[in-house]
Amino acid sequence: MNVIDRLKRLSGETKQKPHQPSRQAEIGELRNKIETIMARRPDATIRTAPQNAFRGKGRLLTDLICGEEIANAFGRFYVVPGNVDGSSCHGNTCVRDCAAMDMQAAAFIANDPDIADCTAADGLFLDTETTGLMGGTGTLAFLIGLGWFEGDVFVTRQIFARDFAEEQAALVFLNEIVRDRKFLVTFNGKAFDIGLLTTRLILNRLPNPFSAMPHLDLLHPSRRLFGSRLINHRLATLEESIIGFYREDDLPGSEIPQRYFDWLKRHDARLMVDVFEHNRLDIISMAALARHLTELMNHPADSDRCHPSDLLCAAKLFHDRGQVPEAHRRLLSLMNSDNDEVKAGSLKLLSLIHKRAGRWAEAVAVWETMLEHDPGDVFALTELAKWCEHRLRDVHRAEHFVSTALACVETQKGRNSLVHRSNRLQKRLHDNS
Amino acid sequence: MAKLTMEEWLARAENNRRFMENVKAVKHLPATDGSFLPFPPWVHPAIINALGKRGIKQLYSHQAEAVEHARNGRDVVLVTPTASGKTLCYNLPVLQKILEEPETRALYIFPTKALAQDQMHEAQGLINELTADIKTYTYDGDTPDDARQAIRKQGHIVVTNPDMLHAGILPHHTKWQKLFQNIRYVVIDELHVYRGVFGSHLTNVIRRLVRVCRFYGQSPTFVCCSATVANPKEHAENILERPVALIEKSGAPTAAKTFFLYNPPVVNRELGIRQSALTPARIVASELIANDIQTIVFTTSRLNVEILTKYLKDVFKKGAPVDKNFVSGYRGGYLPNLRRQIESGLRTGDVMGVVSTNALELGIDIGDLGACIMVGYPGSIASTWQQAGRAGRRLGKSLALLIARSNPMDQFIVENPDYFFSRSPEHCRVNPDNLLILLHHLKSAAFELPFEKGEQFGKENLVDLLSYLEDKGVLHRVGERWHWAAESYPADEVSLRSINPENVVVIDVTEAGAHKVIAEVDWDSAFTAVHKDAVYMVESQQYHVENLDLEAKKAYVKKCDVDHYTDAMTYTNVRVIDVFDEKKAKNVICEHGEVQVVRKVVGYKKIKFYTSENLGYGDVTLPEKDMHTTSYWFTIPRNLLQKLPYNEAQIIDGLSGLAYCLYHLAAMILMADVRDIDKCIGDKSGEWFVRHGRGGRMLTRVGTDGKDKPVEEQNAMMDAFDPTIFIFDAYPGGIGFSELLFEEHDGTLTAAAGLIRNCSCSYGCPSCVGPSLDVGPLAKEAALAILDLIAI
Repeated sequence: MNVIDRLKRLSGETKQKPHQPSRQAEIGELRNKIETIMARRPDATIRTAPQNAFRGKGRLLTDLICGEEIANAFGRFYVVPGNVDGSSCHGNTCVRDCAAMDMQAAAFIANDPDIADCTAADGLFLDTETTGLMGGTGTLAFLIGLGWFEGDVFVTRQIFARDFAEEQAALVFLNEIVRDRKFLVTFNGKAFDIGLLTTRLILNRLPNPFSAMPHLDLLHPSRRLFGSRLINHRLATLEESIIGFYREDDLPGSEIPQRYFDWLKRHDARLMVDVFEHNRLDIISMAALARHLTELMNHPADSDRCHPSDLLCAAKLFHDRGQVPEAHRRLLSLMNSDNDEVKAGSLKLLSLIHKRAGRWAEAVAVWETMLEHDPGDVFALTELAKWCEHRLRDVHRAEHFVSTALACVETQKGRNSLVHRSNRLQKRLHDNS
Repeated sequence: MAKLTMEEWLARAENNRRFMENVKAVKHLPATDGSFLPFPPWVHPAIINALGKRGIKQLYSHQAEAVEHARNGRDVVLVTPTASGKTLCYNLPVLQKILEEPETRALYIFPTKALAQDQMHEAQGLINELTADIKTYTYDGDTPDDARQAIRKQGHIVVTNPDMLHAGILPHHTKWQKLFQNIRYVVIDELHVYRGVFGSHLTNVIRRLVRVCRFYGQSPTFVCCSATVANPKEHAENILERPVALIEKSGAPTAAKTFFLYNPPVVNRELGIRQSALTPARIVASELIANDIQTIVFTTSRLNVEILTKYLKDVFKKGAPVDKNFVSGYRGGYLPNLRRQIESGLRTGDVMGVVSTNALELGIDIGDLGACIMVGYPGSIASTWQQAGRAGRRLGKSLALLIARSNPMDQFIVENPDYFFSRSPEHCRVNPDNLLILLHHLKSAAFELPFEKGEQFGKENLVDLLSYLEDKGVLHRVGERWHWAAESYPADEVSLRSINPENVVVIDVTEAGAHKVIAEVDWDSAFTAVHKDAVYMVESQQYHVENLDLEAKKAYVKKCDVDHYTDAMTYTNVRVIDVFDEKKAKNVICEHGEVQVVRKVVGYKKIKFYTSENLGYGDVTLPEKDMHTTSYWFTIPRNLLQKLPYNEAQIIDGLSGLAYCLYHLAAMILMADVRDIDKCIGDKSGEWFVRHGRGGRMLTRVGTDGKDKPVEEQNAMMDAFDPTIFIFDAYPGGIGFSELLFEEHDGTLTAAAGLIRNCSCSYGCPSCVGPSLDVGPLAKEAALAILDLIAI
């Protein structure tokens, strides 16, 4: 018996002749059970995946997706070129403005000073579509979307491996384009796209052009600067709330691998149209997002183009990167914000800057301002208590602040630390008397 | 009272009539001298110097031979007893190569994380003496994410386990480019552990490793170490699939050892009940420990570890207060920190007694102890010698004591000492081309690198299998290459060891707000060990299981102090799916093939400490588990059985007794662990099976109420049922045991007839058909009557 029949028998795929005809129904039932059991196993994916409902005659790639076949020494592949005019808009963002990216700001948010020496035109925007989201060597980046600025035009190139065999030639072409650019812009590329492409380059025994390239991964600064007011940090969420761009009939990313597997079988271009569009919009959105992030770094803190809580996040970022005077300057205008949270957050950070610099009078003034605004501000009360206890050596006043704070505190952790402080103060009061 | 030395204790024991009455054999193994050779001339002076600081001035002959093979790039397998300096056999050539070519990389594979840790420290110690910039790391599930990248790039020696190699390293080999481009050595220690299913998986993992190395232009040399087994060379060649040089003569000196085979006395001849093996173990162990003789006790189950640890702690609690770890338990499931603490306590002598499962059988460094007590035959001759090897100080004598339990296998061993002392140890078998196993690894291999026409992977027709996977839509063929074309990550779909890779975490919730994790239990054991209301024990502290949350994979327990422990009751039901082969034997049809096995935990017994009294029962509601495997079975026509002068219940008891005996003999004939196989009495249709519930043994019918849920109907009649005894592989897909049993059918039945007939008990006992209280008063007689019908 051949190996496949044995295997099918093991996995219960073939209908076998029952040993006794009377048991046929029963064995049929048993088979059903085994099918159910097999379907519960992790390798159930081996079963047929849902087919996309593209009925009728398939369409040619060239009919639906305007591009051309390119050949090099390693083979052929398909490239789809595109241009986005400087005058056109992506959501609330004008493409021309994106081309005028501030490189100092870009270097700052990427935390890579080498980017400051580049121009916006040196940047390569990159996003891949892959056969899986788990990573590992067996995942193919079948569509590599690239974008860069030429003047105020945003140029896109989508490199498509129509089959596994076209990957090597496509990667060679990618290498040529990357060589002309100086830095990378991605969204989560550090954790995903670049690692994946690196793997595919190694598997195809090609040099890796990315290894020494500065890399602005927009995910991390987006999380840092917009994170506080967004429900998640997916590109689609950022598009809607930051860029003001709403996709229509967008293909969910999770369906993309199956589209490609179906394409491999049927070569029906209708399967791929949405994938190309999804990828193209991702690249353009990255350009717009980079514009918003860098703008936030440059805009005066009272700018009405930016959300005040984003500006506060920007001030915090300056502070954390050691640019305290810049943070200070921004906080001074943010503390007058109409937004209560931003106002409180700005005062808090400002007071800490004063405190760390030893400017106690200024710090105390800020805490007192905070109490004027909210007499139950636990942070301000606690800081004042510390100041009274350790600087003024005024245990009575310190105790007064702590007991006020205790009446207002809401979190258990905050309460515990206040109780601890209060006990210590009580003891000192007792010892003194 | 003056303390006795080991020599004095042994002398007394051999003159103690009451002790010697139960000793079935004494073997005095003399000390042997070592055989030494100088360091080969090529060894780097820094290495000679570093070893010199540790008192190593020359090599044992087997070490000298092994390092020469490794140096010359010849794959080698080394068979060595415990504590014969095997680590040097691979550390020396590996470090030598790194000193010569600093880019050199080596991969060490150990079966457990604990061993990997131990060996990493061993190698690191030597490197520290060398004062060379050589980095060794362990890489396993516990390695923090932020350390992983550095390990991939900088680790000269990466110490890992097969599971991590399978799921964490090979599928990401491009991240390990540096390692694979420079890999010169692969070390596989404890090679004998890789047999059966685990070995079949490992062989495939090695196929994948070799394939990935080849992609990077490398062909590393393999250095393997194994405990004494019958076929080390063949086994290594089966796993590596290439010729391997064998070194089996150890040059290490060995200590004098006295080996006793002990059979506990019969305490009830009527019922054939012997004293529990735990009793003499407790008495001897406490005597030895009281004499300051460091003692290790091996038991065959985790439960017995806990029971005996409790007994011994009770003994030493009565005397002067001692350190809490003076006597410790040790088993898988203890958290790593606790285990490290016990291991080091053994080395320093703070721990004087340890009760362990076979977890301490492997090469974890615990120093050399004075005495080793084995409670129950460890299942194989190889394991027995390995465990006995834990006792053996360089100077003076040591003791190994094997105490038989009442099961047929143990009884056979102690009653036939020649079989044990003269027979060569077991063969290791693997079946890497088990189609299910092979297919899993083919998928993983395709994920790692596309397959090309003409490649070899296993002994089956590769193109057929690749085409099959292509039909299934997971591979995509372009020209002569097959590419992985699915979203999933195939290495996650299979665990190399157990059916389910999941663990259940045991959480102590005794103190509200201070919950803490006290142990981990593998998925399959969780059903029997931490079901609701079970008494779970760690370090002999009892815990009552409040709740088992299978979805969250957590068991919540509270400390308790009760006089009993619990033992889960399970039922097993087997349905035949396909017959591979059948033959007519005497009066029966004997077959082997594919089966579906359904198992369920239905309840538990409460058993009192010390007296083993049954204190009652409880119910357990847990989902059933099903598995697809291979089995051997034979069916006895019911009309033949109905002619015997017994009623139906007695016949079923007789069949159960026969199954009990065959199951134990089968494990011995296959040289398999009893846990590798299982038994069931039922009907080929799966419609009927015999279930042992609290009311005794009963015939149970499984119907279907149309909703895929079995309905049980008890006390059915045998009229509709042709009794079939199944002995099946306890692993999904099977590992080839059933075919062997099919071939050995007549021989096994004859051996069973001999064992039962010659057993001295009156009505059946654990040594033949099972304890008569369990199998019924006529089981022995009925089993023999059935054997008369079917055995030659």
